[in-house]
Amino acid sequence: MIYRESGQYKTTYETDTQIFPIAQDRFAVVALLVIAFLVTPFVATPYMFSAILIPFLIFSLAALGLNILTGYAGQISLGTAAFMAVGAFASYNFMLRVPGMPILLAFVLGGICAAMVGIAFGLPSLRIRGFYLAASTLATQFFVVWCLTKVPWFTNNSSSGVITAQQIEILGYKFDSPAEKYLLVLAIVSVLALLAKNMVRSTVGRSWMAVRDMDVAAEVIGFRVMRTKLIAFAVSSFYCGIAGALFAYCYVGTVEPEAYNLDLSFRILFMVIIGGLGSILGSFFGAAFIVLLPIVLSMIVHVTGLPNSVTSNLELMVFGGLIIFFLIVEPHGLARLWQIGKEKLRLWPFPH
Amino acid sequence: MSDDRKIGDVILKVDNISLRFGGVKALTDISFDVREHEIRAIIGPNGAGKSSMLNVLNGVYTPQEGTITFHGEVRKDMDTHQAAENGIARTFQNIALFTGMTVLDNIMTGRNLKIKSSFIEQAFWFGRARREEIENRKKVEEIIDFLQLQSVRKTPVARLPYGIKKRVELARALAAEPTMLLLDEPMAGMNVEEKQDMCRFVLDTNDQFGTTIVLIEHDMGVVMDISDRVVVLDYGKKIGDGTPDEVRNNPDVIKAYLGAH
Amino acid sequence: MQFFFEVLIAGLLSGVMYALVALGFVLIFKASGVFNFAQGAMVFFAALTVVGLKEEFGFPLWLAIPATMLVMIALGFLTERIVLRPLVNQHDITLFMATIGLTFFLEGFAQLMWGSTVRALDLGIQDVPIEYLMQKTGMLVSQFDVIAAGICAVLVAVLAFLFNKTKIGRALRAVADDHQAALSVGIPLQHVWGIVWAVAGIVALVAGLLWGSRNGVQFALTFVALKALPVLILGGFTSVPGAIVGGLIIGASEKLAEVYIGPYVGGGIEGWFPYVLALVFLLIRPEGLFGEKIIRRI
Repeated sequence: MIYRESGQYKTTYETDTQIFPIAQDRFAVVALLVIAFLVTPFVATPYMFSAILIPFLIFSLAALGLNILTGYAGQISLGTAAFMAVGAFASYNFMLRVPGMPILLAFVLGGICAAMVGIAFGLPSLRIRGFYLAASTLATQFFVVWCLTKVPWFTNNSSSGVITAQQIEILGYKFDSPAEKYLLVLAIVSVLALLAKNMVRSTVGRSWMAVRDMDVAAEVIGFRVMRTKLIAFAVSSFYCGIAGALFAYCYVGTVEPEAYNLDLSFRILFMVIIGGLGSILGSFFGAAFIVLLPIVLSMIVHVTGLPNSVTSNLELMVFGGLIIFFLIVEPHGLARLWQIGKEKLRLWPFPH
Repeated sequence: MSDDRKIGDVILKVDNISLRFGGVKALTDISFDVREHEIRAIIGPNGAGKSSMLNVLNGVYTPQEGTITFHGEVRKDMDTHQAAENGIARTFQNIALFTGMTVLDNIMTGRNLKIKSSFIEQAFWFGRARREEIENRKKVEEIIDFLQLQSVRKTPVARLPYGIKKRVELARALAAEPTMLLLDEPMAGMNVEEKQDMCRFVLDTNDQFGTTIVLIEHDMGVVMDISDRVVVLDYGKKIGDGTPDEVRNNPDVIKAYLGAH
Repeated sequence: MQFFFEVLIAGLLSGVMYALVALGFVLIFKASGVFNFAQGAMVFFAALTVVGLKEEFGFPLWLAIPATMLVMIALGFLTERIVLRPLVNQHDITLFMATIGLTFFLEGFAQLMWGSTVRALDLGIQDVPIEYLMQKTGMLVSQFDVIAAGICAVLVAVLAFLFNKTKIGRALRAVADDHQAALSVGIPLQHVWGIVWAVAGIVALVAGLLWGSRNGVQFALTFVALKALPVLILGGFTSVPGAIVGGLIIGASEKLAEVYIGPYVGGGIEGWFPYVLALVFLLIRPEGLFGEKIIRRI
């Protein structure tokens, strides 16, 4: 009864293209943001920030980036973590070597560096597709991590290869505590998510989807397929780069190449698949799922008294099984399930 | 068919076009022209090379020999992007709609050459990006009205019946405001009612917007009724060229394609 | 010069092992158009099962291997039934991602069953230089490597015979060419796919035995599959000789690059060199040396 659109008429095209056309949705989103920004910092424990909320937001951002590339533009990528690494290391080096560099700018520059690497390694996609492209993104993954490990300049000649990220200070205010880091990450991710949503429903988003669905027809209509793909790589890598920088500065606190390995790339791919390819909201769902799953699993293992070694293997099996499950049952992921749920809610309490 | 529609000069001419795929000769020495504002049909048995001809016209295939003269410019092959920029739009035999998008989005893609804002402007949704989106939405809605697609505008195209999909493809082509429209079997697989509707749309397009139309079609009734001139292909060669009446009485055409009338 | 040859031969022989893994990919891709990312996990699973049966249940080797063969066959049919059949008409990418899911599942399952410690797998073949060659030419060529190459050759011969001379083989080739057409002449598609996956499973077992014996049975075995990707790119996804040639090229170039270029850039280039090589190759010849050119009709 509550979730009804009746009475909500759109009289201009502008209002018709709103992100949340249903008034109840708008209300819900505003409420969510209010809770996220104003209530949570006082209610949540440091553990919740460090282990759940912050990684959730950061992975959502990376998943957003990958979703743009794979979900919207149809270019499969197994090298997401490599772009995150570029973002992290670039930010670190900018902060280190440029005196007085504001940290937000360092993040943006890190993202831009990641975008440039993305474009460079996205060039092969112009001639190849499908599994071949996946292979070339693997090349990116291995090569970039190797580069960052072997070339001492990146790690500032650190002998252990593990560097501590610098402290975050914006306009004199230090972001030290988990709650403060959480707010910073929340702000950045919210803004970037909004930008992504805008892009996705504009021409550039349609150009991505056109290239994904039928690139020959896209070419005939006048889309420049090459430019479209490269923009997808650039934007996607930018997002992943910022996510990588946030990962280093606000989550783990160190900048090391090994953290950005193939396993991380796969995790983010799983987030995108389970959350829903081609859906901004899906990226968030998928990230939440993947972040919470190990915690839920370890609780189950704890409760049932199984040995600890079971957890990580069980996690692998559940991940794998769920991927297959989702691909069979709902290939559009949690986002589609959410949509179906909302549609049912519109009719509730009537069955149809 | 209105006789008082002014058919203009030649805007497209192909001379001695030959196209081969490995050993297969798709087109051999084809020459014909297309006049502005006319409806030109290309007919012939299956495998005659009709779709290949269309693909050459808009740059999807590059012919090994021959030239294409468009708006006075002579070239060895057409560049797909330039064709689009120069106002050539088309539909495909097997429907090449973007299956992941709604009808509205699909038609909006047809407007892409009219949109000048960059992706960064679109990300921030201000100024030019916003204005362009709204303006183009208006234009697309006009086409939706014209082709009577209002009820399905927010439906994902994958869910639509075949006939409606073909209409959406036509809408997408029209969205580009083309000067020349290439239609590859626009009425294939339709029942009588749908064919009548599609015929009407094609004629209205030609009438209202003055669009030159090159169309491949198998339904002889349709072809003879609505076209101004017809080209007949068989095994990649041209065997007839003229008005519907001339072609209908051409003995070669009758032998190869029409049978006894 | 002699050293060069030693490295070359070592590389070629390790390339044979890559080819073995790639063979499994080609089989499945040829018959069902699915890129089976889980091939590496299957190698790992097979090797671990053999070792597990030996150590946990005391099976002698000559029993453990056939037992594992049965397990792999069962796995093949199960995979077809549970994973492939529901996804039959989906995008290639969807099936590819399903195999990624399968990879994780198998890895977790294998380790859950048999534990995650590194195991040694003793096949009774020593990794020592061949006496004869060492005496005659002074070159060090591993006996193990040569025997592995021999086994691979036998396997390829058997597969070639299977494909070309038997009824099943004909059915497989028909299915590889055109699913619909094969269905319409009465070939039981799903049955055939089950067989293909089972055969791929056996190939994985052979590869697992050889790799596991050489490097120990450990989780890293799954990454061998990742190396198979450049092999396939070079050789073509649908070609059995391509997998062999590709494997040889990748194996040789990887070793040579590591030995001759490696020292200048700090080593460890084995990890990415095959990929970059494949990438360059992709840009020149996208369908690989022996692959089929992809023609799209619009």
